[in-house]
Amino acid sequence: MITIAHLYPYELALYGENGNIKALTYELEKQNIKYKVILIDKETNLELEKYDFIYIGSGREKYLEDVKKRLLPYKEELLNYIESDKILLATGNAISIFDFLDFYEIEYHENREVHDVDATTSLCSGNIKGFQNTNHLIKTTKNIIFNINEGIGNHNTKMEGFNYKNFYATSIIGPLLARNDKLNQYFVNLLTKN
Amino acid sequence: MKTLSIIIGKLTLFAGKILHRGSSLPGKLALKVDKRILSKLKYPQIKLMVTGSSGKGSTAKLISDVLTDQGYRICFNNAGSNLKYGVTTTCIKNCNLFGKIKKDVLILEVDERYTKEVFAEINPNYLIVTNLTKDQPPRQYHVDVILNEIEKKLPKDTTIITTVDEPFLRHFELDVPNKNIHFGIAKNKYSYHEELFENLNTYYCPKCGAKLKYDYYQFETLGKYKCPNCDFKWEEPFILGTKLDLEEGTIEVNNKKISIGGDMLFNAYNTLASFTFLKEIGIEEDKIIESINNHNHNKNIEFVKNNKRYKALNCKAENATTYNQCVYKVYLDKELKDVVIGWKEISRRYNHFDVSWLYDIEFELLNNDSLNKIYAVGIDKENIKKRLLLARIPEDKIITADSLSEIKKSVEESKSKIIYGILNFDYMEPFESTFKEDTL
Repeated sequence: MITIAHLYPYELALYGENGNIKALTYELEKQNIKYKVILIDKETNLELEKYDFIYIGSGREKYLEDVKKRLLPYKEELLNYIESDKILLATGNAISIFDFLDFYEIEYHENREVHDVDATTSLCSGNIKGFQNTNHLIKTTKNIIFNINEGIGNHNTKMEGFNYKNFYATSIIGPLLARNDKLNQYFVNLLTKN
Repeated sequence: MKTLSIIIGKLTLFAGKILHRGSSLPGKLALKVDKRILSKLKYPQIKLMVTGSSGKGSTAKLISDVLTDQGYRICFNNAGSNLKYGVTTTCIKNCNLFGKIKKDVLILEVDERYTKEVFAEINPNYLIVTNLTKDQPPRQYHVDVILNEIEKKLPKDTTIITTVDEPFLRHFELDVPNKNIHFGIAKNKYSYHEELFENLNTYYCPKCGAKLKYDYYQFETLGKYKCPNCDFKWEEPFILGTKLDLEEGTIEVNNKKISIGGDMLFNAYNTLASFTFLKEIGIEEDKIIESINNHNHNKNIEFVKNNKRYKALNCKAENATTYNQCVYKVYLDKELKDVVIGWKEISRRYNHFDVSWLYDIEFELLNNDSLNKIYAVGIDKENIKKRLLLARIPEDKIITADSLSEIKKSVEESKSKIIYGILNFDYMEPFESTFKEDTL
């Protein structure tokens, strides 16, 4: 049984983010793979060892700060989670929450970045379609996920996102997995392989 | 500068009249001559602004109609020009060369992002906020941004009129010192007890942050709520609408029946907002009701053709709440039905292609045995189809088409007796003309 944890959907729910969960579970159902989705709210303690996939999406600024404070005590556990090849996907401005893991720095853009996205990635074939609507971008240009044809990349480059092991952070919303079947399939394959 | 600004504005208005072209150009030119012209005009004693994510136009119009019936002379931007240029155009049009607006009441429908530009200069004594919901994400970002922009420039003596049913709007009591007047709707046959919608704006107490509990919901986060941790709770409003009857299109206030001008819940909220303001400024209740009932007719597109009932529900693209209201309406009808979803374009304001808002709409509610076929129509048919598939609606029930005429035959031959359109406003008229027209 695969366990998907959707972190703080009652706070981080800006842009139909659970479309990513809907896309993922739709594909799992098609492949007859058993799963459960756990919604983690702010009253729930994290049990990282029980999750195979953690998803976290965009939110209003006041909630981003709250969530970050809540996750800080889990720093070591989150790092262990990532080191053990489990999947963590952060989309939109949720990328700003995880700068405390020290993989990357975040850049705050006073003028909100609003862009249609067309990109390619080594994770799957074809072009990725999405949308950016954020003040937060990753500053670091190492370990990127996407090569941007249209849209904005880390530190105003054409390279977007961050990837280490199975930790994926991207400013692209979309919802990303719902709009991109091949990328969705990539994550399903990762999940089933694990 | 003031007089020159007014003259330029009026001359441009005159030229536009001769050329039969209405626009906000007069206001734009008047502001170019004197950028503080709005602060130099003499306004009527009663100054109302109406703003919100949706429903501001119809709310302002109803108030204007009722006050006109009562003999008041109204200055109202009823052409829908609700940005600063449009507001200025209306004021220039209604003032004399000395800048005096010779009317009894000023009613301005103002875009929620533009209240900050006109608050200080006009200093309204009343502000109706119809709602603040997810709306046009590329432009608006999110509700905190909008709330903050309204609150930041709001004059301290402006009285705010909102519904007590929406906890997020209670920020106007918690954040700013202004007087608040509330209206609300009592529990009724449409109220429900379990959360039906996901991805909403407010789950937590705006005062202490604990998760709100609901005795019942009216819709999304509207309802009777209370905080389990502090004293924040739904409170008896100044105006309480009772015995809501959407089939009849009525609600009662103090045991008197009022037409809500439609069969949707938002019609009731907008009508009560109007009623609350009118009562607050001293119009007699019976006169308000008589007048509302004269003007508030059901403007829905609904007709019967070849033994099938067609009903078009008007939504606003990029505003998931308006779609959710329509989805909920269809969900409540347990008869076998076909549903048509579509639009010409997502936004007239920009060219962005953001479909994230589709995932904030609870299409899952349509996934039941009473759904016969669902049509995804127009330029975004594949994105709509994808959303419907992820709502687990069986693929064999989903039909995609480029245009309404393409699905006409299939709809007409459907075994369903009721056909709903869940449509952006730009597909309302095409829906009516396509399905009303005789098939050759």
